[in-house]
Amino acid sequence: MTGQTLSSRTIGAAIGLLLIATLPFWAGDQYQLHLAALIAVYWILIVGLNLVVGFTGQLSIGHVGLLSIGAYAFAILAGKAGVNPYLAVLAAGAVGGLCGLLLGLPSLRLPGFYFAMATMAFALIVNEIVMANPALTGGGVGLPGPLFPPPFDTPTGFYYLVAALALLASWLTWNIARRMWGRGLISIRDNPVAAQAVGVPVLRAKLAAFVFSGVLAGVAGAVFASLQSYITPDTFVFELSLFFFVCIIIGGRGSLIGPFIGTVVLTALPEFVAPLARLGNLFYGMLLLAVVLIVPEGIGRVVEIIGERIRPRTVHREPVTPDLARLAHALRKPA
Amino acid sequence: MLNVLVSGLAMGMLFAAVALVYNVMYSTSKVLSVTTGHIAMLGGVFGAYIITVLKLHWLLGLLGAVTVGAAFGLLTEMLAIRRVLARSDEHLWLLSTLAVATMVQHAVGLWWGTEPKPFPRLIPQDFGAGVLDQKFWLPVACAALMALGLELFYRRTMYGKVFIAMSEDAFAARARGVSTDRIRLVSYVLSGALGGLAGFAAGQLTFAFFALGLTLTLNGFIALAVGGLGSNVGALLGGAALGLLNAFASYLFGGEYQQTIAVGLLMLVLLIKPEGLLGAKNARPV
Repeated sequence: MTGQTLSSRTIGAAIGLLLIATLPFWAGDQYQLHLAALIAVYWILIVGLNLVVGFTGQLSIGHVGLLSIGAYAFAILAGKAGVNPYLAVLAAGAVGGLCGLLLGLPSLRLPGFYFAMATMAFALIVNEIVMANPALTGGGVGLPGPLFPPPFDTPTGFYYLVAALALLASWLTWNIARRMWGRGLISIRDNPVAAQAVGVPVLRAKLAAFVFSGVLAGVAGAVFASLQSYITPDTFVFELSLFFFVCIIIGGRGSLIGPFIGTVVLTALPEFVAPLARLGNLFYGMLLLAVVLIVPEGIGRVVEIIGERIRPRTVHREPVTPDLARLAHALRKPA
Repeated sequence: MLNVLVSGLAMGMLFAAVALVYNVMYSTSKVLSVTTGHIAMLGGVFGAYIITVLKLHWLLGLLGAVTVGAAFGLLTEMLAIRRVLARSDEHLWLLSTLAVATMVQHAVGLWWGTEPKPFPRLIPQDFGAGVLDQKFWLPVACAALMALGLELFYRRTMYGKVFIAMSEDAFAARARGVSTDRIRLVSYVLSGALGGLAGFAAGQLTFAFFALGLTLTLNGFIALAVGGLGSNVGALLGGAALGLLNAFASYLFGGEYQQTIAVGLLMLVLLIKPEGLLGAKNARPV
């Protein structure tokens, strides 16, 4: 990204926005529109998770638990209790953030593998609690996810709603990522001791990023419930968590555009290439392994390397020619 | 009541066996592999496959389960550990072992089916044997034997001493002429064989089920963290504590909150004694 000027970046963003805004007009059928909405919903969660995994380096593999909490909060509030759906989305975000705080407060103090296991256990616990309280959550039978009121009740309208939410989430995250906060988070990922030494409040920054991702996961869960129109504990399997995780790792840690490409490709690819859908997790696992072994920095790094091949960075060389005669003179002197 | 005690102990000893497998891998590579539970799953599935589908003697089934486990350990080391450790990056091994675990779980799911299938009886015994049933005492005996064998291995054999040397300080061991890469490979093969054995022994308790791996990875890790990372006796204690707690909790309050209780135990121990019951204290970097 180093060679780009500001104007080419603005043009890129404008084209991207135009594509997103006009998608319902050129998308082939309803299913593709549904797929686009699904990508947007996933992206709302992944953009927040990216701050935790990609920037802060905390390998949370249990974010599906937070998604599930948001979805159930929305389905219960908007469906059963009859609360205004927009308020219910806000409430789902708040509940997601609260659960993120409760989960993060003890577990973010733990080292890498312990943290990963704690978040994974959290995802399992959420499903357990959902199953154990059928009066509230419908248990194994599940709950209907209510629709939003018009004009967002059609597929096109709903697409615009989630696209707007996704853009808002990306904007918020971008603001965090490119400023002091983002630098601080990256420094925690790369060397927590050094980060602490230069005054980054390690635990507080980690916790803030985690709670932020919890809020976004809650909001994503709310629109996810509405998109799926029916949620059961089987919707929120651990594999979904893995999928989010793989999207970020494959796209590249510490960037925003990389995970976005990862999300789009990984969501859309199994839908268009039928054999991949059957392989499912095998495919994700292979991709994850290949990326970790070959380019741990993610696909985004590959693009950068190719870009540098095509348009090499100009390196200023200032060769120093040694003054051999003087050197010889200086060497001879002390003897 | 006795039934609850025995079934809890049997389950706990399976967790302890998985924790022992964690320990063997951790000693030489300082890696906590996500694939640990999946090794035991492979042992159970392949044992059931060889005995019920191929209709071979159960000793051959045992041999097959151990071989498959060892081969998987070898594969894990070559695919997911070697290159990642050479990079000496932070927790990349978590990602690579997670990838291998996901792949093997899905592959077994495609091949074996996603339903839990029964594991055959190994020794002719009446089904009404109650608490003396082999499905309870086989895992217990297996974990005890494994712990005993590992203890002897560490104390009496050259390879065992090299393992200990590597777990103390891999660089120093290398400087003293230990081929650390080869020892690591050996330790992964050994842990694979042990994991296959554990999965085989506990097959009648858990059934041959493809999704068992992740549960075992988690619960084995909890047993390990409760007992103390690197300690074999701690692994046995932690496994027993976890298994008994799970069994009694589901006996008293119903089985709905098993995972919650297990993680509650983990959090409690980590809060009070972060290094576990018998673990070595970790020096903080600052």
